[in-house]
Amino acid sequence: MKEAVVVKNVSKKYRMYRSKKEQLKDLLLPGKAGKNFNAVDDVSLTAYEGDVIGLVGINGSGKSTLSNMIGGIVPPTTGEIIKQGNTHVIAINAGLNNELTGMENIEFKCLLMGFSKEKIRRLTPEIVAFSELGDFIYQPVKKYSSGMKSKLGFAISVSADPDILVIDEALSVGDQTFTNKSLDRMNEFKDKGKTIFFVSHNLGQVKKFCQKVAWLEGGKLKKYGPTQEIMKEYEEFIDQYKKLSKKEQEAFRQETAKRREG
Amino acid sequence: MKPLFKILKEQIESIYLIQRLATFHIRIENRNNVLGFAWEILNPGIQMAMYWFVFGLGLRGNEPIDGVPFVFWMLAGISMWFFMNQGILDGTKSIHQKFNLVAKMNFPLSTLPSYIITSKLYGHLFLLSLLMIVFWLNGYLPSIYYIQLIYFIGISYLFTFAVTLLTSTLAVVVRDIQMVVQSTLRIMFFMSPILWQTERLPDVIQPFMMLNPFYYLANGYRASLLYNEWYITEQWEMTLYNLGLIFFLLLVGSAAHFKFRNRFSDFI
Repeated sequence: MKEAVVVKNVSKKYRMYRSKKEQLKDLLLPGKAGKNFNAVDDVSLTAYEGDVIGLVGINGSGKSTLSNMIGGIVPPTTGEIIKQGNTHVIAINAGLNNELTGMENIEFKCLLMGFSKEKIRRLTPEIVAFSELGDFIYQPVKKYSSGMKSKLGFAISVSADPDILVIDEALSVGDQTFTNKSLDRMNEFKDKGKTIFFVSHNLGQVKKFCQKVAWLEGGKLKKYGPTQEIMKEYEEFIDQYKKLSKKEQEAFRQETAKRREG
Repeated sequence: MKPLFKILKEQIESIYLIQRLATFHIRIENRNNVLGFAWEILNPGIQMAMYWFVFGLGLRGNEPIDGVPFVFWMLAGISMWFFMNQGILDGTKSIHQKFNLVAKMNFPLSTLPSYIITSKLYGHLFLLSLLMIVFWLNGYLPSIYYIQLIYFIGISYLFTFAVTLLTSTLAVVVRDIQMVVQSTLRIMFFMSPILWQTERLPDVIQPFMMLNPFYYLANGYRASLLYNEWYITEQWEMTLYNLGLIFFLLLVGSAAHFKFRNRFSDFI
């Protein structure tokens, strides 16, 4: 099996300030003001070609930061990510403009995604068909409902053909039929042997779709392994977490947050 | 040197992208107005009329400058100013404003300022052709010197790009740069012979006025459109100075751009 993505001791630190004054002070005298926050803390994992990996964890555990780093949107503070092949992040709402019509938006967003003139011309009919928008495709996007807008964004976004795919909470758009259609498209990617990182709170989807799961807690990789094994533990954890009183949940969150400072 | 080549390569490879995004930008900007694109002409038109009224009629009594009526003299120079002022101001904001639009894609970030500037160039070319018609109707016919105009338009574009390459990067790190740029431009505008003749100043000050690139550009436009002079060669010292300045800005700008490019997301 060939390695597709190797994440080596990757951390992402953010500087946090209480005020503009602190920010200015830190700019002039680095390290004198503000606090560090470890959004992702020393994570290492390897994905092989064709792996479909689910990233799970409660809110603020660092899933999105990690997936953004894998997608190349955010650079890691330390550590490195080695990727074989080009990466694409499914971003539904990025790159759509409300003033333009659906049709114009297809060209607009495709241009932003770096497609050539010919590729855009070739893909446009497919995107129109997939979006299920009918004549609305000629209307300005500001007249769309939020569901319609997401459908358009999704249809454009999945027209890319990358080696590595990052999907962050993308499959919960539109109604049930559209979700199924989206899942079908994702399975197509899977069948083509693409490496996929899948971020979701929908545990059912993760269980059905992914072969491996990476469980993040407080920015650290807690467990990484086959879906069945990890999901069983994760679901037990979630059940327990839900049973805690509000106060205990709060205490848990604060404790993990404290560990991430420094 | 290396970052500069990288920037130029990225620009050349993205010509189609830049030009398409520029047209989309104009469309997006003007869609909400009933008059649409007409505002690209109306806005500067109104300003030109006001400047002519105050500086031409009010302060000079409409006296001609070297045989050319003040209003034409002013129009030729100020058309360049509208382009560069808008280009530099909007270009400076471009990365900060548009980063989130393209953040999740593999987008060549150095083309953000250039597509904004290109959209302004389209408006400039349109305004310039209207002005040419006005000049022709008043007896300033097209001549061989128009070739020079292509050079001066190109230099204005390059200069705008070189400045914004640097300022757009800095504005991401420190937002205040936008204000600094705005004030600097305003100073340079009034310190240049766009609205009034700087020749009236004492001789000691003259060389300092010539350090302002707008001095060279405004007079270059005029030489090509109205005075029929070979400004590029007649003022070769200024030509060299300005080309050098552009090169220097490109060098610094591209180095800064690549130094911060990977960390833009941390600052926004």
